[in-house]
Amino acid sequence: MAKYFEKTDKWVVTFKYPLEPLEPPRELRGKPEINPDLCIGCGACAEACPPNAITKEIDYREGYAKIKIFYGRCIYCGRCWEVCPEGAIVLTNIFEMATPSKDDLIYEVNLELHTCSRCGRYTEFTERQVHRAYTLLTGIPRERRKELLDRMFLCRDCRRQVFSHDALRNRRTDKYGRASQTPF
Amino acid sequence: MGGRPRPRFRSVWVFHVDASACNGCDIEVLDVLTPFYDVERFGVKLVPTPRQADALLVSGSVNRQAVIGLKRVYEAMPPKPRIVAAVGACAIAGGIFYDSLAVYGGVDKIIPVHIYIPGCPPRPEAILFGLGQLLGLVNKKIEPRILYPGRRVLDRKYGVLFNERLYKDLRYYLTRYVGYYDRDYILDDLLEIINSSRTVEELREKIMDKASRLKDPRLREVYSIAGGYIVEKIREETGAV
Repeated sequence: MAKYFEKTDKWVVTFKYPLEPLEPPRELRGKPEINPDLCIGCGACAEACPPNAITKEIDYREGYAKIKIFYGRCIYCGRCWEVCPEGAIVLTNIFEMATPSKDDLIYEVNLELHTCSRCGRYTEFTERQVHRAYTLLTGIPRERRKELLDRMFLCRDCRRQVFSHDALRNRRTDKYGRASQTPF
Repeated sequence: MGGRPRPRFRSVWVFHVDASACNGCDIEVLDVLTPFYDVERFGVKLVPTPRQADALLVSGSVNRQAVIGLKRVYEAMPPKPRIVAAVGACAIAGGIFYDSLAVYGGVDKIIPVHIYIPGCPPRPEAILFGLGQLLGLVNKKIEPRILYPGRRVLDRKYGVLFNERLYKDLRYYLTRYVGYYDRDYILDDLLEIINSSRTVEELREKIMDKASRLKDPRLREVYSIAGGYIVEKIREETGAV
């Protein structure tokens, strides 16, 4: 009988968890976090998120693109991790998120918007997106690259104007000076 | 056990309400009662009627049928302390049903909530953490974060052979074989090899050497496939330019 009681201490299976810290497994899908140094603000995560826990808002007045995670609605599916082109968003193994206030469940990354080099207004894409697009132009032939670079730093409206201006200037005419039916 | 914090409440009796949940959260709440997690060591007990309950555990995105029951349960509770805990993503803000017409989307739109426990479903440990906070045993560990990281982006550095475009091609190629979880570890390893090598032949030898030294046959397969892909891509790139 004495032996039985000696052994019972080793047979205790109950967690001591809230009183003692717990190391969660490495591959546990917990709180998703954005690495602010890598995020370019493309909003692919917001597109992919099934419950729209991640949203992208563009603030033209202040000039910021807001990538906002609301953990209260997150279902930890990991689709944001899957689609992120920069590997910026990663699911950590943190699960201790219970809180008495809903405001604690917000994680927000504000990225600066690009300003158009022609008209000076804010565009709908961020400075980092333009930078990343520039680095992706490495393997492209020089003539095509110059053509792309001319339009890369413009906003959507200016790009349309520049394009139509170029098209008009380079239009084909017949021998009487009239514009042909197919200008491009 | 001198350092153990004193609980704010003693023996909270809990009534569990299923307000149109998918039963995922309910199963996790049941898990908390098993000897492994054993919430009864804090005096928390599940009771069969709200008239005996101090606290409610509500799970589910409250739909139009469930709201009637939820209100009646809340009114049937004794007037003090009337604690409410929202368990799971649906109970906090509607979860993936948040924009449905049939759903109120959140318990806090019907009755005041004292603690939110996120998760879909929350782990038993997460529920224990939430209940521990309710009892005053632990403090919250999360706070709102609003970041302004500036306009400079962290550039990865590549060796002679590699560039941004090839890196992204390789990343998506690897995802197809190993999924996104293991991809990151393998990709880091491969990048080190690529950046340290100067010619395509050297790179190929290095990757095949690495693959032959691995014990896991699945990893060996992935390394050799990815190695072949990189070499082919780099040859295309250098041939074009």
